[in-house]
Amino acid sequence: MISILTAKFRLFLRNPWMVIVMSIVCIIMATIIGAASEKKVKIPVYSTLSAQETNELLHTLNESHSFRFEQMDAKKVRALVREGKAAAGLELAENDFTLIIASQTANTFFLREYLQKVYGEKGQANAIAKQLHLSTEQTTKIVKEAKKHPAFTIQTMSFRSKNAVIIDPQMQPIFGFSLFFVIYTVAFQVLQLLKEKKEGVWNRMILSRLKKWEIYTGNLFYSFIIGYMQVALIFSVFRFGFGIDFHGRFPELLLLLVPYVFAIVAFSILLVGLVKNEQQFQALISLLSVSMAMIGGAYWPLEIVSSNILLMLSKIVPLTYGMEMLKGAAVYDRSLTELLYPMSILFLMGVVFMGIGINLTERKSS
Amino acid sequence: MLEAVELTKHFKQTKAVDRVNLYLEQGEIVGLLGPNGAGKSTTISMISTLIPPTSGDVRFHNESIIKEPAKLRNVLGIVPQEIALYSDLSAKENLRFFGRIHRLSGAELNKKVDEVLALIGLTDRQNDLVKHFSGGMKRRLNIGAALLHEPKLLIMDEPTVGIDPQSRNYILETVKRLNQEKQMTVLYTSHYMEEVEFLCDRIYIMDKGCIIASGTKDEIKNILSSEHTVEVKVEKVSESFLHALRSQPVIHHITVQERTITVLSPKEINVFRLLFQLAEKTNTVFTSVEIKTPTLEDVFLHLTGRALRD
Repeated sequence: MISILTAKFRLFLRNPWMVIVMSIVCIIMATIIGAASEKKVKIPVYSTLSAQETNELLHTLNESHSFRFEQMDAKKVRALVREGKAAAGLELAENDFTLIIASQTANTFFLREYLQKVYGEKGQANAIAKQLHLSTEQTTKIVKEAKKHPAFTIQTMSFRSKNAVIIDPQMQPIFGFSLFFVIYTVAFQVLQLLKEKKEGVWNRMILSRLKKWEIYTGNLFYSFIIGYMQVALIFSVFRFGFGIDFHGRFPELLLLLVPYVFAIVAFSILLVGLVKNEQQFQALISLLSVSMAMIGGAYWPLEIVSSNILLMLSKIVPLTYGMEMLKGAAVYDRSLTELLYPMSILFLMGVVFMGIGINLTERKSS
Repeated sequence: MLEAVELTKHFKQTKAVDRVNLYLEQGEIVGLLGPNGAGKSTTISMISTLIPPTSGDVRFHNESIIKEPAKLRNVLGIVPQEIALYSDLSAKENLRFFGRIHRLSGAELNKKVDEVLALIGLTDRQNDLVKHFSGGMKRRLNIGAALLHEPKLLIMDEPTVGIDPQSRNYILETVKRLNQEKQMTVLYTSHYMEEVEFLCDRIYIMDKGCIIASGTKDEIKNILSSEHTVEVKVEKVSESFLHALRSQPVIHHITVQERTITVLSPKEINVFRLLFQLAEKTNTVFTSVEIKTPTLEDVFLHLTGRALRD
């Protein structure tokens, strides 16, 4: 088995481009779709402060998960508000702000609250600085440090019904595209098995001292590793490159990818067992992967699908359970124990698909 | 050493191999000759335990290997018709891989790889990727991959298909050398008569899934001992001359290749006089007429009514 893995990885290193291209395309697609569905409200801003003070204040303001503050000149800010192109405009001053609004909305209410909080903290820092004869920067640092070790902690919880739907526009495309593209990567690795059969390398292995289980395990384990490496790499790029923290569940997500990639490897060997040649396999995998992505909720969240037929079909698609696990952990904050159900389904699918696939492949050989 | 008994293989309704009996003695080269589609590859796939027969048995040292294929596999080297190599690996990497799957490792593996590279004449190109090799080099490496574990029996399925004459000669010489120096038993399938004539001690001729003749080269050629093979070269092949030939019951087989017509006829018949009479009647001009020693090709023609490469 080690000899097969060594040869396969050597072959992969000679030609890694398919996996690299797939990963890049996936990252680009997820980024574009994620950015397009960004939910932050844009607030045009002008300032009477110095450039440095304005930048510092804007940096703090833009830590908001709901608003995005963009600096422009006063005339433009007023024009945007007047024309209804912005929910509100903002004038920044040293100790206070002026909100320019055309009408009172929920957004302006939350915006005012947010601005008051930021200015309150700023004022607090300034007061401490004055009292202790320190610079504002030093004070901010002290406050931040103090907040890390508070005298007592408050835990907040929100009440949500069991069936409450959360659609996270940032997580959805990352999970969806990663799980979709890995189908191609894994399938084309498993396809090598069909090629090796056609070219006679498989027969050489059969006639060697290798056991049949070693040949299958070597080939399928290699496909699993390549597929897993791809999704782990994509998630890592978003985590460490783009700073997306997956709501603090990054390690769990990496663990949850295991049953999904396993099920896809098994699904691919099932297809190898069903088809007669490479062309059939390629046609079938293109058709099935896109269908699975649509039915399984990779392109759009299943939560918005109302058709009972589509929802029923989604139950036989591994991608559904992959999305359920990843969103369950990162979006719905479910524990690994709560995610045992989709994990078990994926393992079961994997075992069944692999059993049938290997059986069909063996039958064809004889 | 190895014996196939009443070996039969059906693929759905098609009978690919029909009750084939053949045997190989230790240290001999046996040819399995037949046109494309004759059933040669299916036969050797069954003999090498790659596919199970529908009926019949394969015996290795008098023990059936259908249920216990490992006994044969451990001493078997197979050279498939396809180039069964990783094209993105170098010659050396390929050989190391195929050595490892036969449980060779360390110094032993290195030694065997070097030996095989030298034997197939690829030492200088050992680090080049296979995809950059010529057809002949790939074929040589294809053979090399089957030799690493020093098999006692080598089964070669048309190992010279689609290569230049120089590489073909190299391969044939290598097979002969392996047989003479290492007493390797070889089962060699081909549809090239000249290869089989050059290499093999005994020959089986296959057609439509059956063995239609077997024996040493001379024994097989003696099938035609009662017949002449006459080769006539003409200025222009005319339909009327061919028609006239076909209407003669004493002319058994006729093949036409460009301006050469080959006919088989019984030795007791004065075929020259007949040929000249027919030429005169049909205004055909001969440029040469020659009686030839029968070849295996002639035997095949005699037995099947078809040329080997039809």
